[in-house]
Amino acid sequence: MKKNTTLAIAVGLAGAALAPTASFAQSATVQQIMDRGTMLCSGHNGSYFGFVEVNDKNEWKGLDIDLCRAMTTAILGDPDKAQIVPLSWAQRFPALQSGDVDIIIKATGWTMGRDTELGLQFSLPYFFGGTQFMVHGDLGISDSSGLEGGTVCVEAGTTIERISANYLQTAGVEHTMVSYESAAELRAAYLANRCDAFAGWGPSLAVLRATELDNPDAHVILNDQLSSEPIAAAMRQGDEGFVDMANWTIAALLIAEEEGVTSANVEEMAATPPNPKVARLLGVEPGMGERLGIRDTWAREMIAAVGNFGEIYDRNLGSESPYNLERGLNNLWSHGGVLYAPILD
Amino acid sequence: MAHTQKLSPNRFHAYMASFSKRAFGTPSAAVLSIVIFGALGYWTWLAVDWAIFRAVWSAENVAHCTEEAGACWSVIDARHRLILFGLYPYEEHWRSTFACLSIIATVIISCFPATWTAKRLTSLWVAGFAAYYLLMEGSLLGLAQVTTDGWGGLSLTLFLFASVVLLGMPMGLGLALMRRSEMPVVRSFAVIVIDTIRSLPLLTTLFTAAVVVPILLPSWLEGDKIWRVIIAFSLFFGCYQAEVFRGGFQAIPKGQFEAGKALGIGYWKIMARIILPQVFRHALPSTINMVVVTFKETAIVIIIGFFDVLASAKAAFGTGEWAPHYMEVYVFVGAIYWTFIFSLGQYGEYLKGRMALSTH
Repeated sequence: MKKNTTLAIAVGLAGAALAPTASFAQSATVQQIMDRGTMLCSGHNGSYFGFVEVNDKNEWKGLDIDLCRAMTTAILGDPDKAQIVPLSWAQRFPALQSGDVDIIIKATGWTMGRDTELGLQFSLPYFFGGTQFMVHGDLGISDSSGLEGGTVCVEAGTTIERISANYLQTAGVEHTMVSYESAAELRAAYLANRCDAFAGWGPSLAVLRATELDNPDAHVILNDQLSSEPIAAAMRQGDEGFVDMANWTIAALLIAEEEGVTSANVEEMAATPPNPKVARLLGVEPGMGERLGIRDTWAREMIAAVGNFGEIYDRNLGSESPYNLERGLNNLWSHGGVLYAPILD
Repeated sequence: MAHTQKLSPNRFHAYMASFSKRAFGTPSAAVLSIVIFGALGYWTWLAVDWAIFRAVWSAENVAHCTEEAGACWSVIDARHRLILFGLYPYEEHWRSTFACLSIIATVIISCFPATWTAKRLTSLWVAGFAAYYLLMEGSLLGLAQVTTDGWGGLSLTLFLFASVVLLGMPMGLGLALMRRSEMPVVRSFAVIVIDTIRSLPLLTTLFTAAVVVPILLPSWLEGDKIWRVIIAFSLFFGCYQAEVFRGGFQAIPKGQFEAGKALGIGYWKIMARIILPQVFRHALPSTINMVVVTFKETAIVIIIGFFDVLASAKAAFGTGEWAPHYMEVYVFVGAIYWTFIFSLGQYGEYLKGRMALSTH
């Protein structure tokens, strides 16, 4: 397989303008997945709200799991061929390097250290989460300027502490910062009204608000985005074809949402494509598959199986989930978010 | 409890009389007793009221789990199969149930003195393990194959525990014997192994077995992750158990071994017939302790991504719907641990009593 990859690179170097007839971009990992008949994805040793959970039938679910199932459908044509390997946080990168999993889709931030020293490659970010403030609703605050003279509580020793202090200082908001050793202490302090605001990772705040507080409506998550961390899928360095595969899986899910293709109407859309882009996406016109070395209809099968990105989000984090997390940054660029797909030509 | 039942009515009265004299003999003692018993009674009432009287029991009634209500056992009703069987396929849970029972039965049967011959114990454990493996893995019985990735919950915890103790015991005995050897090479080998493993944290040892070994070894030598971890865990257990046995050996006068030798009895026979039976007796309390600690330590495998009973408990309350009821899940898992460990401890007491009889 190594030979093929080298060949593909050689062909690419020889002249990008030439259209090579060989099946290019076919990656070693994709080939391995096809030979094995299953795709190995990362799970969790327990559950990570909204991203990796287990349902009442002892099956995995969540945003990250659905992305894995989407990619599995793209490669193998069947979402149930995804095999989820439970991994702890500490274990995820070694497990990827040793080949225990093919890809890590596990709420993992794209950092320089991971990208370089750890020898990983990241896909397009599929989620943006950042530091935000949650405040008691009866304070009537709508943005961080309302925190003037207030108390902000954070978990000690986290990046959140530094980010919040910087942000409020820059904005000229006088405040008292109180840090707590553990998340549980912090939660208790906030609930006991010892803090006006609770600074934390946005999705975690939303989950906390939805699940642990008695009256979710009594708390407001402010619109201020103090930071934004891209969450992406991580893969082993050295298999560009597989990164392409992951990128175009995410891209196809986003394009489908942009074009209004859903799991419900995908067959209809394929029968009468409204525009050439959708026709290309759904494999009515050739091109989608050949360039990745897989079937032309992969995106159609994938959307039929798991839905478009919006459906996946709503089911796991958004309006159809207990968390009811706003799309916010994680909306399409055309709806005020920062998610966008590369150009489908 | 067990003691009061054994008392005859007269002795029970005497016991009560002595109790009331001690607890209420002087005014200050009486006040103290009333405060303490009152507080204990109140806390017990709170716990019982929460856990039973105000509790919500079924998953359909989850809407009643408001703050005013007590324990919300609905979460157990809805998620107990996840806690017990982890990620094992839902339709195949009967296999996991029987596999669990086969391990429990093996342990219980081997507790009876009637099975205490090397032949019987060995065949019993081999049979119990074979039954567990065949049921869980399935392909050899013509059932759907479930790879070890899918094993989890209580059945995985029991399996890890039983295999670690089963493999670790002979390892510990072997190391203890090697450590007492008169051959310097053998002796120093045992010392180095025991002290190296004991100076490494269990977590590091398991992490190495689970994560680092596959990077170092060629893939055909890797084996399944679960077996690597069991072997590493057994080695850890064996090294500590070797020290426990060593204590047992030290309690036996050297003269016994020498007397055996003087009579022309061979090394193995002296060991098997004279030394080891006494060693086991002396080492028993610490051995039971090791076994109990090991049962609890199996929970550490959560760090290397095994879905043991604690991990599956975390997954059980790890969804939006059940997140507020983590307390009930922890109580449930705590009760499971308590049942197993309390039984082990009580069995240890019984053994000690039995062995004390045979000493004199």
